[in-house]
Amino acid sequence: MKDYQLAWKNLWRNRRRTLITAASVFFAVFFALVMRSFQLGAYDRMFKNVIESYSGYLQLQHVDYFDDPNIDYSFEIDNALIDQIKEDPNVITVVPRLESFALAASGSHTQGAIVLGIDPRGEDKVMNVSNKMVKYKLTPVAVEALKNDTLPDRTKKLLDIFRNEAYSSEVRLMLDLSISDEDSAAILPVIRKHASFRNAFLEGTSAGEVVIGDGLSEYLKAGIGDTIVLMGQGYHGTTAAGKYAVKGIIKLPAPDIDNVIVYIPIETARELYAAPGMATSAVISLNRNGDDDISQTGKRLQKIVSEPMIIKTWQELNALMVNQMEADNRSGMIMIAVLYMVIAFGVFGTVLMMMAERRREFGMLVSIGMKKKKLATVLSLEMLFIGFLGVAAGVAASLPFVFYGYYHPLRFTGEFARMYEDYGFEPVMPTMLPDTFYLWQIVVVLIIIAIAIIFSTRKIFRMNVINAMRA
Amino acid sequence: MITSIAWKNIWRNKTRSLIVIIAVTIGVFAGIFSMAAINSSVVQRIDAAVNDELSHIQVNNKDFRSSADIQNTISDYTGVVGALQSTQGVTKATGRIIIRGIASTATKSSGVEITGIDVEKEKEIFTLSEKIIPGTGSFFETETKYNTVFIGEKLAKELNIIRYILTPGAIASLREERIPEDILTKIETLLGQRFTSDKKFVKAYEKILETNEIQKYGWKIKEAAWSYREGSKIILSFLDINNNQTGAAFRVSGIFRTNNDMFESFSLFVPIDELRQLTGMKEGTFHRVIARLENNDITNNITPVIREKLPDYEVLNWKEIQPDLAMITDFIDQIYAVFMVLILAALAFGIVNTMLMAVLERTRELGMLMAIGMNRRKIFLMIMLESIFLSIVGGFAGMAVSEIVIAITGRTGINLVKYSEGMEAMGYSAHLFPAIDAQFFVTTTILIVLTGIIAAIYPARKALRLNPIEAIRTE
Repeated sequence: MKDYQLAWKNLWRNRRRTLITAASVFFAVFFALVMRSFQLGAYDRMFKNVIESYSGYLQLQHVDYFDDPNIDYSFEIDNALIDQIKEDPNVITVVPRLESFALAASGSHTQGAIVLGIDPRGEDKVMNVSNKMVKYKLTPVAVEALKNDTLPDRTKKLLDIFRNEAYSSEVRLMLDLSISDEDSAAILPVIRKHASFRNAFLEGTSAGEVVIGDGLSEYLKAGIGDTIVLMGQGYHGTTAAGKYAVKGIIKLPAPDIDNVIVYIPIETARELYAAPGMATSAVISLNRNGDDDISQTGKRLQKIVSEPMIIKTWQELNALMVNQMEADNRSGMIMIAVLYMVIAFGVFGTVLMMMAERRREFGMLVSIGMKKKKLATVLSLEMLFIGFLGVAAGVAASLPFVFYGYYHPLRFTGEFARMYEDYGFEPVMPTMLPDTFYLWQIVVVLIIIAIAIIFSTRKIFRMNVINAMRA
Repeated sequence: MITSIAWKNIWRNKTRSLIVIIAVTIGVFAGIFSMAAINSSVVQRIDAAVNDELSHIQVNNKDFRSSADIQNTISDYTGVVGALQSTQGVTKATGRIIIRGIASTATKSSGVEITGIDVEKEKEIFTLSEKIIPGTGSFFETETKYNTVFIGEKLAKELNIIRYILTPGAIASLREERIPEDILTKIETLLGQRFTSDKKFVKAYEKILETNEIQKYGWKIKEAAWSYREGSKIILSFLDINNNQTGAAFRVSGIFRTNNDMFESFSLFVPIDELRQLTGMKEGTFHRVIARLENNDITNNITPVIREKLPDYEVLNWKEIQPDLAMITDFIDQIYAVFMVLILAALAFGIVNTMLMAVLERTRELGMLMAIGMNRRKIFLMIMLESIFLSIVGGFAGMAVSEIVIAITGRTGINLVKYSEGMEAMGYSAHLFPAIDAQFFVTTTILIVLTGIIAAIYPARKALRLNPIEAIRTE
């Protein structure tokens, strides 16, 4: 009989113990995978939200601008350089921006704001902003009208919780108001009738017009057509002030940005800040945005641009967020480490017991001529099988959760969703599809098994056959 | 009797029992200690929120929060303060003026919330005056003919008031901190250079020093080069009572440091009379009255009492102003329970295996006990007790170890310097002083005993099913 056959048969001599030990490994692997998947998925989502609505994957900046975001660190757009960057195989386009801080005021309300001077068409191509424009808004008037119309009671109740909420897609609206796909045909027309929001993003010709974040519009109590005043500091210390009409309202998935953002055509921004022909940054959009692609493209572009220009990756642009996620990530990893440590002790205990229980058997086998090396190999295989059984079961059990969670992310509804948003998070918990973190679980289990194997092998080689047989 | 038999039984196979006990010890320790660390950061956050940022209760004009209009003042200030102070549990109350504006220096500007305060009363309510960075001045103590302002470190950095300069004095102080000489010689090349932001300074020394040297001494060097010229000026501009743009230069009276970047960069404080003069607000008008309670726990009970007394105003407590704080305080117990249950469930597998082994290996002995008349209930109880002992010995050991480690780290603190930037941006301190309520230990003990019981059910049932005649015959 081959070693592995022997090992496999041995496992089922004490079925219960094998299953319990494999179950403990399964338990750790399963929880670790599901936990990691949710955690990594949440980070991924948060980064995507901020990257795809604000920072972009790569930016061209003045070397000092990031550390000291001051309009004085802007640069003159050099078309030759832009063309050179566009020639890179992974670059789709380059969109310049003029970004600065200003105080936004409407009526007697004031709020600090990020004024983002953009090329409307280019920005839309890169950030897909026109899709993020508010399409429905549950204004108090709309809520009253909806309540008097024919709607299920549950939806009416939820309307109160989501009062003033804005939506850029029907999907999100349906989820918040818990409208199922079957009911949507009956309910959506009613909602469309009362809560639709007429709205448009800036166009190339929109001088003197702005689009503001929904959070900012709530704060300033400024709706479509209202005037807002922007006051700030212009290029080289000039005073910047101007009056603009609100053309549209946008709902960005990153609340921190949604609360402060003002989009303005770049030419208007240049006038406001007295910085003709200048830009503070340029967003570079890419074909492939895997981590490796980004860093390689970044390196290639860095060679093209020269001082004082610099290429920044999204990790550098969102350094604070990366730091926060790392801290959180570390705490998740500690939790899993604790779990595995506890499981490891369980496995060692089992191995110890098994060795003690089968001492006589081992003694007998060696005395009738089995090589100690072969015996140790069989034992090692037994343990590897247990480990793999646990890992395989854990991976298999986690996959449905992970895949389902990825395609149908867990969404909080009702009051909890509101709370989550107030806290600055999107009320959604997506998972992350299998990635290197799956491999890590296998590595960890292998390490635990390896320690157990070292222990058992030493025991076998030190065994005194005569004593063992007498046990 | 059964108890002592069970106790003796677990020591018959010392190695096996010890492995389980050590596993439980480690699991319980890890669980309690990580919770103590998390708990401490939450407690520190709440303390900061209540003591420096929000106070316990805020009373506003009904329209003030939805529209921060300068006209939305509290009409009957004395009445409101009187009502608050006559409420049982309220210790102090004072009024504030709150205006949104813009703070700027020659090079930078930033949106801020300007709070006009009654300096003396504020000191009794908030500990903010103690959060001043030594050497940056005082909490409005120096007499001056200028307007004065108390600002946060983060804002001071944003406005380039704080700079980084390596002076000979800074090098000397680093030498006193026993920074190796070779590092000091290296950074001496930066002597006298002026850096307007900490990042620029970090970049400069990153070019000179090795990565491991930066990790070890970077923040000390940064701390030493931190420099601020006393009496720096900033311009505050805002709208006055007639909605006209107004503003004035303010001398920085002092700079405070908290663990909350948002608060540090957004809130600044000005003596109330100076703000009245500039805005034209009349004597006795306020936007907000803040009140302090005897302690945090009575918040939920006192809020409705005050709300009833002041129906014409908006009354909010700190939990309502920052719902995330309320959420965390309410959820922390649940997070703890989930984590602990997960660890104990993992431990249960080990205990089940061990107990199963203990039963199967003693088949003959158990058969004998039954044959000579020990009833099944007692057998069941014995196995249960063995399992409970295993878990409780480990559990108590784990709790003892955690108590000791928490006591030590609670005094020295754990400094997660690497993550301070991210954590402080969210208002949490990266310097943790683990602490935990005695309540946690009670809950943990209950959970551990439960684990012991649940883990013993399967092995104990196995024991009960034994047929004494067959059991005696087994080898």
